[in-house]
Amino acid sequence: MRKKLILAVMVLLAAVLLSACGGPVRGTTWAGLAADDSTAYLADGPYVYAVNVKDGKELWHYPENVDSKLIFYSTPVITPDGLVIVGSAGNDHSLIALNPTDVNPETNAPVEAWRFSAATDHWVATPLVVGNKLFAPNSDGNLYVLDLQDGQSTKKAVETIELGGRLWAQPTTDGERIFVTSLDPSVSAVDVETYEVLWHEELNGAIPGSAVLGADGMLYVGSLASQLEKFDPATGKHEPVLEAENWIWSTPSLDGDTLYFGDLDGNFYSFNTSTGKSNWPPVKPDGPITASPLIQTDHLLVATESGSLFAINRDGGVLWSEEIGGKIYTTPVAAGDLILVAPLETEFYLAALDQNGRQVWTFAPGN
Amino acid sequence: MWDLFVSLFINVLLWIYDVIGHNFGIAIILFTILIRIVTWPLNAQQMKGAAAMQNLQNDKEWQAIQKKYAKDREKLAQEQMRIYRERGISPFASCLPTLIQFPIIIALYQSIIRALASTPLDLLKLSRSIYPALNVSDLIPLNSKFLWMNLGQPEGIPLPFDISFLPYGFPLLAIIVAITTYIQAKLTMPASTNPNDQSAAMSKMMSVYMPLMLGYFALTFASGLSVYFITSNVLGIVQYAMQGKANWRNLLPGGQKK
Repeated sequence: MRKKLILAVMVLLAAVLLSACGGPVRGTTWAGLAADDSTAYLADGPYVYAVNVKDGKELWHYPENVDSKLIFYSTPVITPDGLVIVGSAGNDHSLIALNPTDVNPETNAPVEAWRFSAATDHWVATPLVVGNKLFAPNSDGNLYVLDLQDGQSTKKAVETIELGGRLWAQPTTDGERIFVTSLDPSVSAVDVETYEVLWHEELNGAIPGSAVLGADGMLYVGSLASQLEKFDPATGKHEPVLEAENWIWSTPSLDGDTLYFGDLDGNFYSFNTSTGKSNWPPVKPDGPITASPLIQTDHLLVATESGSLFAINRDGGVLWSEEIGGKIYTTPVAAGDLILVAPLETEFYLAALDQNGRQVWTFAPGN
Repeated sequence: MWDLFVSLFINVLLWIYDVIGHNFGIAIILFTILIRIVTWPLNAQQMKGAAAMQNLQNDKEWQAIQKKYAKDREKLAQEQMRIYRERGISPFASCLPTLIQFPIIIALYQSIIRALASTPLDLLKLSRSIYPALNVSDLIPLNSKFLWMNLGQPEGIPLPFDISFLPYGFPLLAIIVAITTYIQAKLTMPASTNPNDQSAAMSKMMSVYMPLMLGYFALTFASGLSVYFITSNVLGIVQYAMQGKANWRNLLPGGQKK
């Protein structure tokens, strides 16, 4: 009888422990970060946090309590009418719109404006707002088109466009077409009005970042084939224009006619779209680069996996560097005069720095 | 050290995946067969050890010392050890292979999850786990679709109605896992004539708890793990049958009593 009891307890314990492993926890991947001048929105594991940019204090968090079906790390998107839309990588695969102006004072959680639950896989990509439409790519390979003005609290897709592969990056638009990258690996162009797939081109390596429209009107994409690829947005005709040393993970950042991006060997590149050549040999900060550079008035900010933030001028010279701590994979964001950084493996979730890299405040829930 | 072990699993899985034309479900099945072949001697040892322990339960000398020293546990233990020594039986021989299965299951689960890389950080870690001999860019991302399943997610066949405790639909794979685990446990349960046979009672308990536990794991975790469980169970049944150890009568109601 005693053995039966011990065995039953062991089985129960194993089940409980392994179930706990499957619950939403912070750190399964890096956080998604977006901000306007007054509020930062951080999607970091079981919660989405709204943080006051002025003092780093929490304004609200969602959901009220941990929900085993919800986990957040896709970068939230703020719609023109003020809703915060964020996708869940939890098991219910929901895309949720929160109303930050309607926060329950008892729970300190915002009210859900609507929810879309028809996707069949995780939300990693940030959706794109074009007019009244939301173009939302999901890991199930579909690009879902939602009507933001239909007034429905349970959204249904206006159109579901099957593109294939896993869609992890925010789409890009030139006003006429939506460009979607996929891990499968391919790039597709979809007509913004008719939702027709205009072209679908395969590359040699998966594409975790977004496409960027250059000043020359061409589309640029970095890939895990360690190449920067140039596309004709009208036809999809493409060619590699730069061979990197390792995978290009991030979305290149456009500044005038120059694209800035890093690779997983820790090289930082400056590619001139007018000349088709690099402006200078790659600069090497102190670690692999997965985040996109943040363009500032007189310099560029580059975050590394080693937990540092580098200010690099447009000639490739390092102006300053600051050790933030942990590992930085999330693209830094500007909010007013501050720079927001969301490292992984640190006690704080978010840090605000001034223009010289000095820490102004840090945010951790409960502080 | 553990990471190296998991990395080895990932690389073997990816190598099989690459060779067979990018089907991760088949790769898991072939990898399970490979593990079964590698651990074949251990499983054979487990069966031999279990049979020896079982025979001992029906042995007259063994039963005699159980009665004689029923109130003297220390003396009973000494006598039991003497009999083990004299007959060359290791009481742990039947446990060791089962214990070895657990790190393999955990490593396989981790390697499946890491190989399928459902998050950006997983993909980044995967890129660093792959040996240079494999062409990473060609392999990533892995095709996680197999039959009706997404191997990186729990399995379920969609139902026309919502059931809150079945968030993924009808759990066909979990049911198959539970049934094959039950069949394997029953087939390997030796017949016993001794009503006080503790190991037989333990085997009986395991034949109930193990299917429930593995069925629950299959219900909750990535379906790739369920593919491993089912393949492993079927191969286990085949191995027992090939060695003539399978006790098919146990599957029949009341078969144990015959």
